[in-house]
Amino acid sequence: MSEKIGIVAYGVYIPRNRITVDEIASVWGEDANEIKTQLQVFEKSVPFPDEDVATMAVEAARNAIKQWRGESEKIGAIYVGSESHPYAVKPTATIVAAAIGAEGQTTAADLEFACKAGTAGMQMCFGLMQSNMIKVGLAIGSDSSQAKPKDPLEYTAGAGSAAFLIGKQNVIAELEGMYSYTSDTPDFWRREGATFPSHGQRFTGMPAYFDHIIKATKGLLKKIDRKPEDYDYVTFHQPNTKFPLRVAKMLGFSKEQVEKSLACKYIGNTYSASSMIGFAKILDEAQPGDRVLVTSYGSGAGSDSFSFKITENIEKIRDGTKTVQQYIKNKRNISYGLYSRYKGILKV
Amino acid sequence: MEPPKIWRERKERYLGIGIMCEDCKKKNFPKTRICPDCGSENVKPYKIAERGTLKYFTQIMNTGDELVFNTPYVVGLVELEDGIKVTAQIVDCNFKELKKGMKLEQTFRVIARNGKEGLIKYGFKFRPI
Amino acid sequence: MSNEVYIIGTGQTRFGEFFDLNIGDLASEAVSKAIENAGIGKNEIGTLFIGSTVSNSLSQSSIGGICTRSCSLSSNAYRIESGNASGAAAFHHAFLSIKSGLYDVVAVLGIDKLSDYVQNGTIEKILASSIDYQWEYEMGATLTGLYSFLTQAHMEKYGTTLEQLAYIPTKNHQNGVLNPKAQYRYSIPIEKFLNAKRIADPIGRFDIATPCDGAAAIILASERYIENKKPHSYKVKILSSAVGSDTLALQHREKLTELKATKIAANDAYHKAKLTASDINVAEVHDSHPIGEILAIEDLGLVLKGEGGKTSVEGLTALNGKITVNPSGGLKARGDPFGATGIAQLIEIVEQIRGNAGKRQVNDVQYGLTQNVMGTGVMSYVSILGRGEN
Repeated sequence: MSEKIGIVAYGVYIPRNRITVDEIASVWGEDANEIKTQLQVFEKSVPFPDEDVATMAVEAARNAIKQWRGESEKIGAIYVGSESHPYAVKPTATIVAAAIGAEGQTTAADLEFACKAGTAGMQMCFGLMQSNMIKVGLAIGSDSSQAKPKDPLEYTAGAGSAAFLIGKQNVIAELEGMYSYTSDTPDFWRREGATFPSHGQRFTGMPAYFDHIIKATKGLLKKIDRKPEDYDYVTFHQPNTKFPLRVAKMLGFSKEQVEKSLACKYIGNTYSASSMIGFAKILDEAQPGDRVLVTSYGSGAGSDSFSFKITENIEKIRDGTKTVQQYIKNKRNISYGLYSRYKGILKV
Repeated sequence: MEPPKIWRERKERYLGIGIMCEDCKKKNFPKTRICPDCGSENVKPYKIAERGTLKYFTQIMNTGDELVFNTPYVVGLVELEDGIKVTAQIVDCNFKELKKGMKLEQTFRVIARNGKEGLIKYGFKFRPI
Repeated sequence: MSNEVYIIGTGQTRFGEFFDLNIGDLASEAVSKAIENAGIGKNEIGTLFIGSTVSNSLSQSSIGGICTRSCSLSSNAYRIESGNASGAAAFHHAFLSIKSGLYDVVAVLGIDKLSDYVQNGTIEKILASSIDYQWEYEMGATLTGLYSFLTQAHMEKYGTTLEQLAYIPTKNHQNGVLNPKAQYRYSIPIEKFLNAKRIADPIGRFDIATPCDGAAAIILASERYIENKKPHSYKVKILSSAVGSDTLALQHREKLTELKATKIAANDAYHKAKLTASDINVAEVHDSHPIGEILAIEDLGLVLKGEGGKTSVEGLTALNGKITVNPSGGLKARGDPFGATGIAQLIEIVEQIRGNAGKRQVNDVQYGLTQNVMGTGVMSYVSILGRGEN
C-alpha cells in the first residue's frame, strides 16, 4: 500500500427523545438505583415514529458528506449494518444511496452481525480501497433495536447511527492495521419473524463480549507490534458502561484512555452504531498524532479491532461538524407511554 | 403506495430535485417537463434549498391510514431560502415551541407506511435549526 | 331567437346520514321530484348529467347506469367530476349542452353518499383528490389543514378575528332552522364554536361542514322548448355560468388571502349577465370552512377585500340583511354531500326567485348567485340566475 487508507470523514445521528432508567423501572417496580449502579446507564435514546434505521443512516451519511465536502457520485461502495433494518428483504443501503445522490455505479449491500455489522462494513470498504477497486467507500452502522418489555435489555436498547467515509485523499485517521476474531457463540439472537431478541443473560459476558474483544484486540496489538500504552484513546462496543471499562482494564488500558469515548450512559446501547459512535466521539476531540484503537463486538459472535493514527487533516474538517456531544445534549425526556407508542409496541 | 410511483418520485422526495428554466430562470418544485411559468422545454434539474422559514402551520390529528402512524403531527407551508415554497411536515419539536418565521432545515424521514407488508415511503420534512 | 337556458324544475332529498338508503334510492327521489316539479314527462330528458365526487371511484364504476335504472330513465348519463365541486361542474356542462343548441331538456343530478365511510381517515383521503394529492396530501396536509393556512393568512393580513369566523356557522345554523331539507335544523350559540377544540388551528371542531348523504336535481330547458309548450310560470333564467381556475397547490399560489379562481369566475359571470356585484342580493356560497364564506363574499365583490369578517358580524349577510348569504343554511347547516351541494345551492336560489322559500324568503329577489369551490380553490364555479318572463 503506497497511499495511506483511512477515514476521510464521519458523521453521527442520535434521535432526540430519551427515556430514563427511572421511568422504565417505575413501570416494572424495579429498583432504578440498583440498575443504574449495575449498568452505569441513566437514559437511552428513542426515535420518533417516523424515524427508522434508514432515516438515521441517511442523517449520519449526510453529516459525513457535509464534513467531507466531496461529491457523492464518487462513492463506490455503500454498506449499512443493522439488526433492525426496515425491510427483511430490500436493502437499506440503496435507500441511503438514493438519498445522498450516490445511485449509479456503486456497489451496495446490507449487513447483519448484531452490534458489529457497521465495523464489518468498514472492513469491506478498507478491502475495496486497498485493492483500488473504489475511490471512496461509505460504511454505516444504524440501529433502532426492539427490546422486550420487562427484560433487562429494555433499559439499554437505544437508537442511533454513525457513518464513515473511507478513502485515500485527505485522510483524517490513517488505518494502521485491523484484526478480527470470530466464533459461533449463541449469546444473543432473534429468529426470523420474532419481534424481540433473546439473550443468554450471564452467558453474554465472559464467553462472548469479553472473550472476543480481548482476542481481537490482543491479536491486533501483536500483529502490528504495539502495546496499550501506545494509544491515546481506546474505544470498545458499549452495551453498558461497565463492560467497556472492565475490558479496558483487563487489556491493560487505563480508565483515562477509554473514558472519552463513553456515550452509553446518556444514549444507551446503539447496537451497530455503538463502537462507531464511540470512535466518532474521540474524533470530535483527537489531535494530530494521536493513536486510537477501536474494537467492536457483535453477538453471534465476533470482534473487529482497528488501529488508527490521527493526521493533521483532522483540524481541517472540524468546522460545522455536529459532534456526538451536541447530539447527546439535544434531548427531550419522554414517558414510558410515549416510548411504547414511538417504538410501535402499542399497536394501533 | 405503488412501487413505480415511489420509485419515480424518489429524487423529488429524497433530494428535493425540481427544475430550473434556462430561459426565464424561474425555479419550480415539483418538477414538470416544461417550465410552468413560460412553457419552455429548456429545463434542467434543480435541487431546492435545504433551509427555509415556517410561514403557516397546523396540527393534523386525522388523515389517511398510510400517514396516520405519525399523528398528531404538524404540517406547514415552508418558504425556502431560494423562494420556493413547499408543504411538508415539521418534526423534532413540540407543537408549543413552533412559531411563524422559525428557521427550519430539511431532514429525511418516513412519510408513509403501507400497512405491515407494503412499501415504506421516505421523503423530506423540516425541523427547527 | 336568443338561446336562453332556464331551470324549470327542482327536487332534492333531505341531506343527512341515511345508512339504509343507497345511491339509487337518493337519485330516484331527487330526480323524480324534479321531473314532477318541472311538469315534464321523463322521456323528454335528453341527457342526465351527474355531478358526484366519490360514488364513482370508491364503490361503483358506472354511477350513470345506477341512476338511469333507479330513476327509470332511458336517457344517456354522464358523470362530470370536479372534486367536491362536481355538482356545479355538472350544472355548467348541462348549461353548455343546451346553450349550444344540441339539447332541449336535460337533467342535472348532484349526488354523493359519504356516511358509509366510517373508518378513520377515509374522508380525508377522498377530499385529498381535490387538493394536490402528491405534494400536499402525501406530504401530510389535509383539505382542512390547508384551509387553516388560508384562515391564518387572512387573519394575519386583514386582522380577521376568531369571533368573526365563528359568526359564519352561527348565522348559517340559524338559517338552517328554517330549511326543511337541511341536515341540521337547530341553532348553535357562537360560544360553542369559539370554545370548541381546535381541529386545525385556528379552525375549531364544529366549524366544518359535515360530509353526508344527499341528492339534488334540476331540470334545464331551452327557450325553444319552453316556447313550444304551455308557458312555464316557474321558470328561472340562467343569466350566466362561469368557471375560474388557479394553481392546484397553495404553495404555487400568488396570494393566500384570496381565491383567484372565484374572482375570475365572478368577473366572467357578471360580464356575461351584464350585471355587477351590487345587483345581487342573495347568494349561496361555499362555507365548508368559515373562511370559505368570508373569502367568497370578498372575491365575489359583494364586500371590499379584507372586510368579509367585519361586514358579516355587522349583519350585512344575515337573512334579509343587505345581501343575504346562505339563506339555506349553507354547507354548514344544510350538510355537504359534496357533489350534491352545488345543485342544492342552485335550487335554493331558484326557490328564492320563485318566492317559494317559506320562512327564509329574501325580499325583492331579482338576481341570485351561487359559488361552489373545488378543494382550496383550484376551480371555482359561479352562476347567476334571474327571473324568467312569465
